[in-house]
Amino acid sequence: MFALGDLNLTYLVSITAVSLYVSTAAVALSAALGLPISLAVGFRDFYGKSVVTSVISTGMGFPSVVVGLVVLLALSRSGPLGTFELLFTPEAMILSQTILALPVLVSVSLSAVQSVPQDLRDAAFAAGGTSTDVALLVVREARYGIVTALLAAYGRAISEVGSVLIVGGNIVFSDSTSFTRTLTTAITVEARKGNIETGIALGAILLALVLGVNALGARFRDRTPGRNGRGR
Amino acid sequence: MTTERPGADEPDSGEPDETTAPDPASNGARRSKTRLAARGLGHGFGDGTVLEDISLAVEPGEILAVVGPSGTGKTTLFRLLAMFERPDEGTVEVGGDDVWGLPEARRLAVRRRVGMAFQTRSLFSTTVEENVSYGLRVRRSWSARVRDAVEGLFGREEPSETVEDALRTVGMFDKVGRDAGSLSAGEAQRVAIARALAPDPDVLLLDEPTSNLDPRNTAAIESAMRAARDRGIAVALATHDMQQARRVSDRTAVILGGTCIESGPTDEVFESPDDDRVRQFVEGKLVY
Repeated sequence: MFALGDLNLTYLVSITAVSLYVSTAAVALSAALGLPISLAVGFRDFYGKSVVTSVISTGMGFPSVVVGLVVLLALSRSGPLGTFELLFTPEAMILSQTILALPVLVSVSLSAVQSVPQDLRDAAFAAGGTSTDVALLVVREARYGIVTALLAAYGRAISEVGSVLIVGGNIVFSDSTSFTRTLTTAITVEARKGNIETGIALGAILLALVLGVNALGARFRDRTPGRNGRGR
Repeated sequence: MTTERPGADEPDSGEPDETTAPDPASNGARRSKTRLAARGLGHGFGDGTVLEDISLAVEPGEILAVVGPSGTGKTTLFRLLAMFERPDEGTVEVGGDDVWGLPEARRLAVRRRVGMAFQTRSLFSTTVEENVSYGLRVRRSWSARVRDAVEGLFGREEPSETVEDALRTVGMFDKVGRDAGSLSAGEAQRVAIARALAPDPDVLLLDEPTSNLDPRNTAAIESAMRAARDRGIAVALATHDMQQARRVSDRTAVILGGTCIESGPTDEVFESPDDDRVRQFVEGKLVY
């Protein structure tokens, strides 16, 4: 059977699966919440808009252990979300990763939405588009930047350690299957045990995953028509 | 003060609001076209007044040139005519309806009878075909649009006759499958005009469509304007190119300082203007 140090295939597959599940769910949740926020902020001028965008940008620098601590307090038995009994589950990790990925996604996608020229919005309107049509056109025009935002958010989520350790608990069952252990938290365990080679091997798998996700995103962007320059 | 001649722009001309013209989308069938009129338009931004008391009309089957130096308010006027925003004063009328007095749903229907192309490059980041068909797509029901999108996943359909007709009008059908980003400025402008023509509008507004273009693309666009006129479309052209106004337009309105100071048949405005400022402007002696 495949083994690398203390690693076996079951363990390896399960921590990779938990990493992918938690990060993908967190990015999907961030996108569902964040893209409407980007459009709403990007489309409208309102009092305090610069403050809102500054707060969003500041969110990109949230210390993950602080986010983990806040989520821990919220999900603990005496916390406001204690009744859901989510602490030390993958769902708690999804919550903390969503909080960390959301500002990244909103900030980058907001920038992409705002970079769509007003001329194109005018053209969509003049062609008979409603405000919904114009918004969809802007999303379509900003898709390159939105994909970049999704990739950045995914990178933030999958490389997370501090908060998922705090709210997930780094739990592995006796049959070596992971419940809340991810590739990143597994690396910290191996490093603490002095298994540097094993840690590096896990790091390589993590890098390969990130590379694969980015390659998918790049493939989507490269297939986008109309990106061959603005003129001959 | 505006100087007007017989046949000049006059919203209250008493002319019938509609005429008939061939519909390019229906292979020669005839569909009613309508006129666009501005009555007493005034508009400003902040404390500054850009337009003041402008009245003009463009009738089906004619080209009206709105001439004046850059910065005189032509673009603001055209944006008001295209219903981008509500004028501070006066009315915009399509087929006799004050568009800002209509309920939103009816105003959308009226707005869709007016097409516009801009001075700046405004093609979407997709193919030429998808650019030209955009106005047709947004007029379809959501269920039809979703069905089209799903069908699009399983293969590319041939361009519709309407898209083909619009692209042939501007001489760009051979580029139908190209990425819009790969077109030259002149080609992009021709595609933008095809996009405005595809839904068979009653009124076509062209804001400085040939500024900075080479003679070949300028000629193609002027040819498209004449073709639109021949189909009964009311074409309004904003330009600071006096020679172009003279070449293509049936009537001309001269705007200086945000006010229409003279309007009438193009030959008369150019050959024997009543207003001395117009005379100086058409002779190139009035510099703003």
